[in-house]
Amino acid sequence: MQVTVKLFAFFRDGRFKEEGGEYPAGTVVGDIVDGLGIGRDEVGVVMINSLQHSLQSPIADGDIVAIFPVIGGG
Amino acid sequence: MNRLHDFIRQRAASGNISLADAGEAATAFHRSLMEVEEQALLLDIMPLRYLRNGLRCREQLRLLQARVAVIGCGGLGGSVAALLARLGIGRLRLVDPDRFEEHNLNRQQFATVDSLGRPKTETARTAIRSINPAIEVEAIVRPFAEADIEAIDIVVDGLDDGGKRLELAAYCNKLARPLVHGAVREWHGQAGIATARNRLLASLYPNVGQGSDSKPPMNVVAPTVTLIAAIQAAETCKLILGIDSPLARSWMLCNLLDNVFEHIPA
Repeated sequence: MQVTVKLFAFFRDGRFKEEGGEYPAGTVVGDIVDGLGIGRDEVGVVMINSLQHSLQSPIADGDIVAIFPVIGGG
Repeated sequence: MNRLHDFIRQRAASGNISLADAGEAATAFHRSLMEVEEQALLLDIMPLRYLRNGLRCREQLRLLQARVAVIGCGGLGGSVAALLARLGIGRLRLVDPDRFEEHNLNRQQFATVDSLGRPKTETARTAIRSINPAIEVEAIVRPFAEADIEAIDIVVDGLDDGGKRLELAAYCNKLARPLVHGAVREWHGQAGIATARNRLLASLYPNVGQGSDSKPPMNVVAPTVTLIAAIQAAETCKLILGIDSPLARSWMLCNLLDNVFEHIPA
């Protein structure tokens, strides 16, 4: 299935801002994160089609997945 | 009080009162500078220090009567405290257990060569007195506790750890205090207003256990700190004055590399 992945802040460093990809049925957001070499504990907000979800959320064909990093400094 | 009012009216021929005249009134009538400026505002006389805020006297009075806790007084917290003092927030409570270290000099407002080794909150209080001696600043040198936000209207997040932020948000939810959140990393920052209803911090820090010590210190550049602190100070001021904000419905992500500022639904 075809999925668009959007990355934010420093997750874009060395990766991309937005990219389409082919993923197998049954993929969850966490699988995409793993495939990008991002640690799951570095992920903050995850959105599918502008609605907040979690790393365990399954994705469907045509979804737009947005992945935001944890920003924690003060 | 009538004699104090007469004195203030007499010295405020142009509708404003200077710091020198307010100080003279404070000495003559055994009042604090803050009390004198508060009485002036009640008489519709603006202290000169606030003239360029462009607010009405009753709005400036609301700021002067507001109580804000800044939890964490390093990068974000220090800059927010300085901005709130210039705006004229009357009571600031600064809470931070730490002392300034050399690696703070790149971004923290009150970190100077002379303040190294000194408690951050006490250093901030001293510096703020020279910015605005007509407000009350309380410096607390220890980790925050629930009691720190009890007699407070608004809480500002100047922390640097997700677990501690969740702990603070839990206190704020319990006491129904709005929490003006900010966080920074490298050239990126975020800001928002956490409430019991939107549970913003639980969304932003989904994988952090409460009270946990998570990551090593993050790299941050000074412009990111100043930007996010400015947003936090503005939002705090707007909350006090009842000015609507997009951050009532969303949180904001700022990217200073690409100059992209985005609102994400909360």
